[in-house]
Amino acid sequence: MNQKDIPAVNPNTPVILEMNHISKSFGAVTALVDVSIKLRQGEVLALVGDNGAGKSTLIKILSGFHHPDSGTIVYRGNEVHFGSPREARAQGIETVYQDLALINDLSVYHNMFVGREYHKRILGLKLLDNRKMRDLAQTYLNTLGIEIPSVNSMVDLLSGGQRQSVAVARSIYSSPTILVLDEPLAALGVREGAHVLGLIQNLRRQRSVSIILIVHNYNQVFEVCDRINFLHSGEIVLDASTSETSEEELIRIVKSGLGREAIAAAAAEIETSAEWREDKEI
Amino acid sequence: MAQTTHTSQATRREVGIKVPDTAFERALVILSRYREASIAVVAIVLVIYFQSGNTAFLSSQELSVVLRDTGRFGLIAVAEVMLMITGEIDLSVGSTFSLAPYVMVLMTIGWGVPLAVSAVAGVLLGVLIGVVNGIITVRFRVPSLITTVGTFFLLQGVVVSVYNSQPIVAPVQEPFNEIFGENLYSPTDSIWSWHGLTAFTPFLWTALVVAAMALVLNRTTFGLHTIATGSNIVGAKEIGVRTDRIKVYNFMIAGGFAAAAGVINTTQFASADPLAGGPFLTLQAIAAAVIGGTSLLGGSGTAIGALIGAFVVATLNNGLVMMGAQATVSDIYLGAAIILAMMLNVQVDRMRARRRI
Repeated sequence: MNQKDIPAVNPNTPVILEMNHISKSFGAVTALVDVSIKLRQGEVLALVGDNGAGKSTLIKILSGFHHPDSGTIVYRGNEVHFGSPREARAQGIETVYQDLALINDLSVYHNMFVGREYHKRILGLKLLDNRKMRDLAQTYLNTLGIEIPSVNSMVDLLSGGQRQSVAVARSIYSSPTILVLDEPLAALGVREGAHVLGLIQNLRRQRSVSIILIVHNYNQVFEVCDRINFLHSGEIVLDASTSETSEEELIRIVKSGLGREAIAAAAAEIETSAEWREDKEI
Repeated sequence: MAQTTHTSQATRREVGIKVPDTAFERALVILSRYREASIAVVAIVLVIYFQSGNTAFLSSQELSVVLRDTGRFGLIAVAEVMLMITGEIDLSVGSTFSLAPYVMVLMTIGWGVPLAVSAVAGVLLGVLIGVVNGIITVRFRVPSLITTVGTFFLLQGVVVSVYNSQPIVAPVQEPFNEIFGENLYSPTDSIWSWHGLTAFTPFLWTALVVAAMALVLNRTTFGLHTIATGSNIVGAKEIGVRTDRIKVYNFMIAGGFAAAAGVINTTQFASADPLAGGPFLTLQAIAAAVIGGTSLLGGSGTAIGALIGAFVVATLNNGLVMMGAQATVSDIYLGAAIILAMMLNVQVDRMRARRRI
């Protein structure tokens, strides 16, 4: 799982998604101010920032859960408006939310297929094809190397990592165009986190799905993403490619203070000053 | 990354789900997996108790009375089960139960509409009441407990003011009445005749509805989304379940079934009584649902359990009276039964969580 394993995304690769000048307020609380992000085909973009920076709001706008006050979303070359998560899902944008959106009172295989159930007709009645869903879920989880006691288990009996894996498996099952993962490593142990990162790295290697990864702490994911956008107080303050910067440099920028100017200044410094690395006290 | 999991099957360590090995543990597994099982045991014990105290309990006449009550409670209870799975409740069913047949009878008497047609109108009125309850609850964010207490009083007020709270004699139109609740059974009839069958029609209709709802709940997308809505409403929304619609549909089911139960009750007694339902019927139906193993917290519940719960409530009501107890005494037992059933449900849940059975 090394950065060098996977060639960088070609800069000529078409842009699959643009969110332009998105603003959003909830009553008196301003969550996003004029945020723009771009995502290329097959790229893994990490969206980093502190609590309350607006990361989750931004992706909930993309997934149709919230509606922006202003700004546009251009997806596969067309301007789109997602009225509900259902619409975004139907267009190939899958989201794994922070809360995982698993239904504790349903089995693993039902969870895999809620919202896109398979049916069969018996005596003219449209009934769930449970056997088909069970078999498909079992096969698919095996393919991904996800181990759970049984696809018949209720998901509330699974461990945190198993739950996370099931949620990720569910979202990539339909071969989405864009996969959004909101804090996929939160509440996971080291081994479980590594497994989820492995799933993401595999998807990245294939370059068939574009991924937006929301993380609190980017040093966990530095090696699995192509670009990092730093969101602070509802604004994108830094857009850096991971092939051009190093993890240490980014940590320095963040530590240098979270003001927009401070970060912009520090970012400019990376580009201009070769002695920056020696300077320990900023 | 794509290694197979089959090889690791044999070497899996002893963590996770414990396989039950003793007969007692297996019994617990069955009790926790099929919540209906524990309440079915209670129902059988009750029947044995009342039969041993009074051998007439299992006579066809007495059974007819118990099963008719079971049908009345059960039809409303199964609708409450669906709603309670979504995390909502409908307390207005007692008023809908009175209002729908009242409207049916007035339509037939006043406008000469055939009873079968006005019965459909009555049931549709119940569905409409469900729509109103549902929309007030999901659109205006009023908790359903409050919404339906409001509609309960409102509708109860309407039904008693329509005709000065006087019961109206309902017209009898065959074969509508004998199909939907009229009891033609007399001691000279064979239990296996058509007349014998009519002794149990309210129960049989309810049993049919319960079977249908069990199928809906376990084998349809609507049932899956109903469970998802009550189990994790935010998560269900995020994965595209239309939770508001699911709730409104279940309120419509509750209203429709309550109205149908009222229509069957009126057909049975050939009388529309504005006080036939009321708060007591609502609470008995909810008691039946709860005794049958449905959680008030949403996410889980069983239709079959509601029917067995209704049978337990009806058996307690009638069995104690048959044994010579005052009718009011049966409420003591009913109250105790509700509390015991809930304690049992909670214990079985905890056991399930702890033992991972």
